[in-house]
Amino acid sequence: MKTYTEDKKLTVVADDMMLTKDMPTTAGSKMLDGYMSLFDSEALARLKDAGYTVAAKAAVGEFAIDLLGETNFKGAPASDGHIKNQAAEMILSGDASAAVCLDVNGAVRRAAAQSGLVSVKPTYGTVSRFGTIPAACSGETVSVLACDAEDCGRILDLIAGHDDKDGTSLPAELIAKTNEAATVRKVAVLASMKKGIGADVCEKLDAAVAVLKANGVEVDEIDDSVISASRPAWNALMSAELCNNVSRYDGVKYGYRAESFTNIDELYTNSRTEAFGELLKTAIIFGSETLSTENYMKIYDKCLRVRRVISEAFGKLFETYDAVLMPATSSMSYTEAEVKENKFIAFEENYYTAPASITGLPAIVAGGVQLVGRAFSEKALLEAAKKYEKEGK
Amino acid sequence: MDREILRRLELLNQLSLTEQEKESVIAFFSDREKDLETLDAIDTADVERMVHVMPIMTVVREDKVSQIFSREELQAAAPETDEGYWCVPKVME
Amino acid sequence: MRYETVIGLEVHVELATSSKIFCSCSAHSYGAEPNSHVCPACCGMPGMLPVVNKRVVDYGMKAGMMLGCHINRTTTFDKKSYYYPDLPAAYQTTQWFAPVAVNGVVEIETSKGKKNVRIKQIHMEEDAGKLVHDIREDTTHVDFNRTSVPLIEIVSQPDLSSAEEVEAYLERLKTLLRYAKVAECEMAHGTMRCDVNLSVRPEGSNKLGVRAEMKNMNSIEAIKRAIEYETARHIDAIENGTEELRQETRRWDDIKGKSYAMRTKETAGDYRYFPDPNVMPVVIDDEWFDSIKASLPEFPEVKKERYISEYGLGEYDADQLTKSIALCECFEAAYGVCKSAKDAANWMISEVMSILNQKKMTYDMLDLDGKALGELILLVSGGTVGRANAKKILAAMFDDASIEPKAYAEANGYVVSNDTGMIEAVIKAVIAADPKSVADYKSGKEKALMALFGKCMKELKGNCDPQTLRKLLIDSIS
Repeated sequence: MKTYTEDKKLTVVADDMMLTKDMPTTAGSKMLDGYMSLFDSEALARLKDAGYTVAAKAAVGEFAIDLLGETNFKGAPASDGHIKNQAAEMILSGDASAAVCLDVNGAVRRAAAQSGLVSVKPTYGTVSRFGTIPAACSGETVSVLACDAEDCGRILDLIAGHDDKDGTSLPAELIAKTNEAATVRKVAVLASMKKGIGADVCEKLDAAVAVLKANGVEVDEIDDSVISASRPAWNALMSAELCNNVSRYDGVKYGYRAESFTNIDELYTNSRTEAFGELLKTAIIFGSETLSTENYMKIYDKCLRVRRVISEAFGKLFETYDAVLMPATSSMSYTEAEVKENKFIAFEENYYTAPASITGLPAIVAGGVQLVGRAFSEKALLEAAKKYEKEGK
Repeated sequence: MDREILRRLELLNQLSLTEQEKESVIAFFSDREKDLETLDAIDTADVERMVHVMPIMTVVREDKVSQIFSREELQAAAPETDEGYWCVPKVME
Repeated sequence: MRYETVIGLEVHVELATSSKIFCSCSAHSYGAEPNSHVCPACCGMPGMLPVVNKRVVDYGMKAGMMLGCHINRTTTFDKKSYYYPDLPAAYQTTQWFAPVAVNGVVEIETSKGKKNVRIKQIHMEEDAGKLVHDIREDTTHVDFNRTSVPLIEIVSQPDLSSAEEVEAYLERLKTLLRYAKVAECEMAHGTMRCDVNLSVRPEGSNKLGVRAEMKNMNSIEAIKRAIEYETARHIDAIENGTEELRQETRRWDDIKGKSYAMRTKETAGDYRYFPDPNVMPVVIDDEWFDSIKASLPEFPEVKKERYISEYGLGEYDADQLTKSIALCECFEAAYGVCKSAKDAANWMISEVMSILNQKKMTYDMLDLDGKALGELILLVSGGTVGRANAKKILAAMFDDASIEPKAYAEANGYVVSNDTGMIEAVIKAVIAADPKSVADYKSGKEKALMALFGKCMKELKGNCDPQTLRKLLIDSIS
């Protein structure tokens, strides 16, 4: 169901990982409080060219690695003791017809799942990352959050396409493959990916399965072990890349600079220490350690190889199945209390989002659950999701 | 993870953690131990590393010059500049 | 005891591309206004993504081939992290795992003969910015113009053993890279920089001594002085125990003629390299490889041999001309027009090179149209322009590349006259004004004829064939 009125159809919001030249872009960090980019991100520029208005920026957690935005330096929106995602809230309140967000660690997908919205994380390389705040470049993807699959597809069509300014942007002829007609006929549910989910999520999963089956889609529950290893591998890769990407914020060129320092190292250390939050600091330290001389082969290189194993495991599944159905979250809401208690919950909860992050495969969240498919199958996935998207409400 | 390694990591990353942050980082690392076991259990002996998820190669551009922004624009948000330079406390070499 | 010095070099060379390695800013930062060649990427702002400049790979490959390296057909870029104000993103994109070229060899020649220096690898990377320390006392000023200018780092094996060998090696690198036109290699401009890894051990020992890495030498002379100083310091420490040698980085102070240990951080050297997810592997297919191979210049030795065997030049002339690719190209173009290798070589060596020397320009800075030089040579050999006037024309050509010798000679009255009547009139006047010289010549003083000849030539502004003038002059006196 659309939450917006027709006059808002061409109005979108962008999350604060998307650079905008007419509004500050903070990446949810005190480090970039008030930071004005000199240029727009490519995805937003394409929307503007198509006559769209980017009305506002939605808060994200610091560098978008948390659950839903709760680590934002200004605090996260919450209601009834449950944490909320600001982009999702803006859509639910009818402020915009969609949100364009950078999916770094699954926050966009969790937001879609818990707020009854639909999100599409397209195949890596189909939407330019030019003009996004870099966090975990090897897997992060510009994604769309909207009321339904139709709106997701509408926005995706406008932002997808080759971009010479992004060296990982795929050639136009590959991106065109997303338009090839395809139907989801066979879906696998992975037993291992159901681990840890609550009854509420289980219900959503069952509901989606039932609708798919009712629509003639064959659904098998199968065993798989290796895809569930995505989380630890992604945590290491993401943290290492993040550590490197946020090293540029040092109080010299722009952004936050500490007031007190007597030499260059104090300038760096005080600025970073004062401006960065705890989750980010932890990820930096962890990422740095995975890249150390002692650990590089043991951890980082290992994770790069595990990434291929996981990728190939998906490839094997896709020989038989058109898509894999899995949860996007362990529960349909997170309380403020549990997030406060477990500061690193995002590094556990991304169990469900890491498989598509680490492989770059397209993932659609609808009806509170996630459908991961072959590269370039996002349109087919969106069509399939239309069948059960209302189950998420 | 021990205190000495953590101290080095703080130095290396220009961070100074509070005592409480140090404790939770150490706890975070101990949680990751189990993760390492999960990874170790996967046989990757004959597997090539996968840096890029999409198999495209050789993305290059022509050697052409273009200047997009002026120095004034680029330094608009600078904490400190002087005579067109960014400024930092004296660096000893 | 006798000692031997073991030296390996890390040579950074700026590649002569138009734009930077990962962004489109101009790569020509030398002497530019601070921070005038920068973009969001060069000043570490988020959002721009690196896209590799193809010419950097072309030049990297070319350099590798010139230095006898194996070219890695799949070459990748990696990130190297450290904090320093000249590094705006706090990481440098370089090549750690699969550099463009490996396992090369460069032959050098010194007073002790020929020797091979092995090249470990050549990798492509981005340069850092520049720090200026002398504008304000309490502040370091940062200029990112040089940030991301493409570099290759040429890493040698520790095969060098003296300042003389190091000089020969560096000169050889310069020559080869300039021949391939991939780099300027001018230490004074910072387009070639060199770090020296040096250790000393008893002669014949196969165990390496404690190694010092020396930085901040800004000329080959400074490098030689630094090597002499450092070798002596090491020997002194070993023999007399004056200090305990440490593996360290030392900064050369060329004014004081001393090296100093640099302050190093505890975390120095912990660079956390990892493959750059934003830069796809560069795969060099056969077509690309072959096109670069085909574009390689003739090596200096091959050229020299050809100049001797094919053009009939003498060893000395061939050697002089092949000192620089710019000289070779000018010579070859001039020869193509004038068809006399001897004349072309002559003009190159006795005129062109000496003008360069007078102007304190390097041979590589020669920017003379060789075809125009060939035409000038033809004008002289054809008797249209006298040699003295031809030199004036050449000097003018150095200042103005658009000058066409023939038109210039005509416009400036440098064309030899064939009007014997006019020449005879001049001779008559000169003889009449200088009866003493005439008498001297008649009494057998050959020199007197030269004086008269000179006076006539001067009157004729050089526009006379010397043979004709001489003949007419003798005829007139007799």
